[in-house]
Amino acid sequence: MSGTSEQDVIVVGGGLIGIASALGLRQLGLSVLLLDEGDVAHRAARGNFGLVWLQSKGGGSGDYVRWTRRSIDHWPDFSRELTELTGIDLGYRRPGGYHLCLSDTEFASRSALVDRIAPNQPDDAKTVMLDAAEVRRRIDGVGEGVVGASYNELDGDCNSLALFRALHEGFNRLGGRYKPSVRVDAVERDGGAYRVRTGEDSFGASKVVFAAGLGLNRFAGQVGMPEIVRPQRGQIIVTERLRPFLSMVFSQIRQLPNGTVLIGDTKEDAGFDNGTTSIIMRELAERAVKTLPHLANVNIVRAWGALRVLTHDGLPCYEEAPDWPGVFFATSHSAVTLAPGHAREFARWVAFGEAPPDLLGFSSARFRAAA
Amino acid sequence: MTASPMTSQKPADLVVIGAGPAGLAAAALAAGHGIRTLLLDEQPAPGGQIYRGVTRTPIGDPRVLGPDYRRGQDLVAAFESSGAKRVVGASVWSLTRDAEAGLEIGYSVAGAGTLIQAPRVILATGAMERPFPIPGWTLPGVMGAGAAQTLLKTSALVPDGPLVLAGTGPLLWLLAVQYVRAGVSIGAILDTTPRANWRAALPHMAGFVRSSYAIKGLKQLREARSKVRVISQVTGLRALGSDRIEAVAFRRGDGAEERMPAATLLLHQGVIPNPNLASAAGCAQDWNPDQLCWMPRTDVWNASTVDGVWIAGDGAGIGGAIAAEHQGRLAAVAALSAMGVLDGAGQDREAAPIRKALAGATRGRRFLDALYRPADQFRVPEDDTLVCRCEEVTAGQLREAVRLGCTGPNQTKTFLRCGMGPCQGRLCGTTVTELIAAERRVPASEVGHYRLRPPIKPITLAELAAVSKDDIPAVAAER
Repeated sequence: MSGTSEQDVIVVGGGLIGIASALGLRQLGLSVLLLDEGDVAHRAARGNFGLVWLQSKGGGSGDYVRWTRRSIDHWPDFSRELTELTGIDLGYRRPGGYHLCLSDTEFASRSALVDRIAPNQPDDAKTVMLDAAEVRRRIDGVGEGVVGASYNELDGDCNSLALFRALHEGFNRLGGRYKPSVRVDAVERDGGAYRVRTGEDSFGASKVVFAAGLGLNRFAGQVGMPEIVRPQRGQIIVTERLRPFLSMVFSQIRQLPNGTVLIGDTKEDAGFDNGTTSIIMRELAERAVKTLPHLANVNIVRAWGALRVLTHDGLPCYEEAPDWPGVFFATSHSAVTLAPGHAREFARWVAFGEAPPDLLGFSSARFRAAA
Repeated sequence: MTASPMTSQKPADLVVIGAGPAGLAAAALAAGHGIRTLLLDEQPAPGGQIYRGVTRTPIGDPRVLGPDYRRGQDLVAAFESSGAKRVVGASVWSLTRDAEAGLEIGYSVAGAGTLIQAPRVILATGAMERPFPIPGWTLPGVMGAGAAQTLLKTSALVPDGPLVLAGTGPLLWLLAVQYVRAGVSIGAILDTTPRANWRAALPHMAGFVRSSYAIKGLKQLREARSKVRVISQVTGLRALGSDRIEAVAFRRGDGAEERMPAATLLLHQGVIPNPNLASAAGCAQDWNPDQLCWMPRTDVWNASTVDGVWIAGDGAGIGGAIAAEHQGRLAAVAALSAMGVLDGAGQDREAAPIRKALAGATRGRRFLDALYRPADQFRVPEDDTLVCRCEEVTAGQLREAVRLGCTGPNQTKTFLRCGMGPCQGRLCGTTVTELIAAERRVPASEVGHYRLRPPIKPITLAELAAVSKDDIPAVAAER
């Protein structure tokens, strides 16, 4: 069987970045084909913690803070629009977010991070450090082990699985074409346009967006770009449903509207192994009980491991490939926070060539220089 | 002999999980060869499901539970004199294989968690009832026939009447006979076996009539039919009621609709391997198109695809209690050989009589598989019926997700939370696979199964946090 089809844009990758971009492109009136892998694949979207998060972003890049901030500003409106389109509630809320520190060492290193990124943060959304007494004043039930926290009032969360589904549902409703269970082999020039080859088929388009997560390096190599991404494992514990008790969001613990509690925030270099390990799970459990002692007798119903898609400097990467006009690359490990940015601003860049100025610094050229 | 929970690194050379026929036989054989063998079992007493409470059933009259039940007492006796150790009430929540540390088992006893290294493991975690998703199956008063039988065996508990049994398969008839002998009144047995199954089963009749099932099974059928109203070729079954079941409605074989009052509806359409532990350990699974379920892939020695893990008994594919015993012994022989206790010739010599007995025990199975193959409509339900009980996901929602492009259960789980509840998809896994396959018009094998992860049983945060650190071989995460 061999098939061909023509469309304005092909998006490669059905994760949060690919589907948000595809939806945005469709909303701009372009015909879009989204190519995706099957049921078993490295899918960071399945392991997402659901934070819509500003407080620790930056890492010395003012552009990244501004980009994140704009996306967070888009969130309420974006969420409402997507719900109107699909009927799916994304559960977005912005109660302010805390990163809790469980030792003086953790508090000191968090303070240092906050100081480092402060110059780039907008005046109305500075991350602040809170001491133990202030944390206890604000949050009921916090354990003795909590020595302080960082806080930002713009932080919030959403139901990231609902976001994922709503983006797919919306794309479908707007007439986007989704083709799962395909592995993209290559992109090739075809006159002034491109062909994307899968096992037996090939698809033509004038533009191609690679949002292929950990698969990006393969395609970057094909167009002469350096390696962009590496995997970083995160593990999450999920508890049974509890009565609502936590209205604010912690970077390490959050309660979903359905009552389950997510416990996470681990970072490991485990190659492409997305399994779970006893030591990390045990550590997550220990920290959770130290943070909120009343969780001690709560049952864990499942655990999860997934691979974050990280660049070498932790910042996102957006680029129209040099010498391949119309071939775009996009990756970021904050695909929930940045979903509105991808659906709105990144999609406009792809569609009309209007690059948001603060994204131009995120090309892969910086990795070439480092190599 | 009952050991207390341990925290030492390697408490045994062989760990057997599950004290049903496969686990008891495996542990007894291995310990009999002088191997340090540890049996972990969730129940307070050995026997598994089939011989549940065999050492302490409150039912005095042996006629109620039948002569087979006593075979379990012999197995327990052999195990107890073998020198194998046992931890009772051990809920195993994790089995993982690490490249450096090898196999590691996490289990809890009375709320205290332990991690142990296990050089070799035999999984004998048995079967579970196949889900029977019909309208109203989540109403209080509707339960699995297997669960009802457990209550009968361990506590002599009988359900509230009016009582209706519905479904297909040997256990349904066995339970009916056990109730009749215990003096319990059954309103009706609604037999959902499709007529066409007889035609499919007929070619396997010769094997069946020479099997131990034949006479026993026919006697049960006759006894049940003589005492209880049996309605054949039932379709369109549903449980009705608001807060709990009040009635059962269905279509009879002659096409007539019927409704009868019911306070209890016991459903059964066969058993399938309990997939959780094998799946979480990473054992490859294949779809069995005859038994309509996922089965761990095992070789002729019952070795799984994970090094050092064997799977014996119904957990490796439904074969019944007698076959389970022999499979347990085969796996133990293979494990002994892997440990160097037996050489190649010794392994084959030990295995020869076991294989012969196993062949006898599996005779007639194909006939039963064909005859009691559950009807399509009771495996792939209509849109309004709940598939995932934990997260309340309907068949219609699943079909909608497939139309959106989901190709398998892991993506429908991401879209719908289907299979994310406390049972981890144990109860909906086969239904979801078959439903997606039907919707996509592809074989179930192409659809795939849930990826499961430990913990496969709920444990508390405090329990996990208190697991002894020394037992965990690895590096901590950066923070």
